[in-house]
Amino acid sequence: MRTRNFIPQTLQLSHRSILGMIRQPQSWAPSLFFPVLLAAVYSSQFCKAVNLPEFPYSDISFLDFILPACVIQGVLFGSTNSATDLAGDIQNSFMDRLLSSPVSRPSILVARLASAFVYGLVQAVILITIFYIFGANLTGGVPSALALMFITSYLAMAVGSFLLAMALKTGSQEVVNSLFPLMFVFIFISSAFFPVELMDGWYGAIAKWNPLTWVIDWTRAITVEGFSWSNLVKAVGVVSLIATAGISMATRQLKKRIAALS
Amino acid sequence: MKNPIHASDLSRTFGDLVAVDGISLSVEKGEVFGFLGPNGAGKSTAVRMLTTLLKPTSGQAWVAGHNVENEAGAVRERIGVALQDAAIDPLMTGNELLRLQSVLHGIPKREARIRCGELLERVGLKIAGDRRVGTYSGGMRRRLDLALSLVHEPEVLFLDEPTTGLDPTSRLALWEEVRKLNQEIGTTVFLTTQYLEEADQLAQRIAIIDEGKIVREGSPSSLKAQVGAPTLRVDVWEKDFTAAKATMAQFGEERPARKGRIAIGLAAGTRGITVVLKALEDEAIEVQHVELDEPSLDDVFADATGRRLEGGEKTG
Repeated sequence: MRTRNFIPQTLQLSHRSILGMIRQPQSWAPSLFFPVLLAAVYSSQFCKAVNLPEFPYSDISFLDFILPACVIQGVLFGSTNSATDLAGDIQNSFMDRLLSSPVSRPSILVARLASAFVYGLVQAVILITIFYIFGANLTGGVPSALALMFITSYLAMAVGSFLLAMALKTGSQEVVNSLFPLMFVFIFISSAFFPVELMDGWYGAIAKWNPLTWVIDWTRAITVEGFSWSNLVKAVGVVSLIATAGISMATRQLKKRIAALS
Repeated sequence: MKNPIHASDLSRTFGDLVAVDGISLSVEKGEVFGFLGPNGAGKSTAVRMLTTLLKPTSGQAWVAGHNVENEAGAVRERIGVALQDAAIDPLMTGNELLRLQSVLHGIPKREARIRCGELLERVGLKIAGDRRVGTYSGGMRRRLDLALSLVHEPEVLFLDEPTTGLDPTSRLALWEEVRKLNQEIGTTVFLTTQYLEEADQLAQRIAIIDEGKIVREGSPSSLKAQVGAPTLRVDVWEKDFTAAKATMAQFGEERPARKGRIAIGLAAGTRGITVVLKALEDEAIEVQHVELDEPSLDDVFADATGRRLEGGEKTG
């Protein structure tokens, strides 16, 4: 019975999760507002950075350069929402209601991951539209835009899975929210807003090996140079590795949480 | 294992703390069973074990004919649970939560729609069904919680302190609903409470739990009867005092009373009151005032534990 009900239960729980997000504008509004604000500030402040000799691209605006990073930044900030809501379910005993019902246990996690993906996708569409209106250029056109949307929403789900693992481990919204600044650090010590070629010392070394740098660089190649299957596969491959690690961790934490009741 | 709830020597420890200490109980089909005890007595831990949310450290339990450890899935399909905190998502509407609960129990869409409407009507939330739960009062939340636990027509319903924090009107409304459920549908109800009146009003049988152990078990009236005879207090004119005292002494031992009042422990129980009054009338003694004071469940609790449930003071 439980296996047969996995899909409808997952869909219904995802629906609940997405409804919960939509109905809390205070939780998603900042993740749309800040990337736009930062993009506005950076593209005005560093508009001449594109003229530096080591800048990897020519004939593009700084806004074009930071476009994928800004979208990624937005969806990553938004990826905390799903985990915060899950921690809330644990704190207010809604999780107990679920566990005392014949719900398929994996559907609890899959629904949260699905909602993180959908939420990331919606954010990506909104952010890309805003940047397009403000003059950002996507060389590859619609295929590049679709690739950017997919990579970023998939990344939101992948990073979200680590946060879901933390939510399951601690059952605390405060702990999940406290990881938000860590996201800043990961994004800033990457090629998000400056090419690694212009970085030096330990900062450059960390940025070079930050997986986000790889995802951003390959995604940027798609938006600046034009759509390429090989860059898409490479970016998706890195995100898949992150997702595999995160989902394994979250699954382990879910099992532990259920076993902890034992 | 025919009884809907059967526990045998059930224990649960958390480190050094023994939360539930070898309880055994059996609840019959269609019974409202009250689990009465103070905060921290082990009521919720016991409920969590019976509802498969917590594994027992030792002992066995069967709910709706299935073992709570080995057949937890089967148990979950057959029970309804309303936990202490009324775990309800404030961002969703009553209707949405009922639909979610229906899907969790694998109820077909069309059937679920009909049943959700009926349940909202039953708990008096039809009009509020499309409002977000965050706007509900405490009583409305509890009633919705009850409706949620009934979506799949469970064989056994667990209500963990269902009226804690509710105002008297909401409490009475919930009691009425539980009574109706039990009388009309015959649902077996396992109710934990720290309120004496709630246990007295709703439960056909009660187990009193203290420090993880069941210290008394039986129907409210039999438990009270075990504590002692009810006290009959009678006021008579001063001229009749001595004669009245002698007459009443035939029906029970004298108990302390204020000046001008005679008090006895009615050996025949509450039914003995008419006999005493008849005897006084036969002696031409005019009765000014009569009081019958039955032992309360608090007296039962005090007798079993040496503490009062209401007030918590140590008795002499």
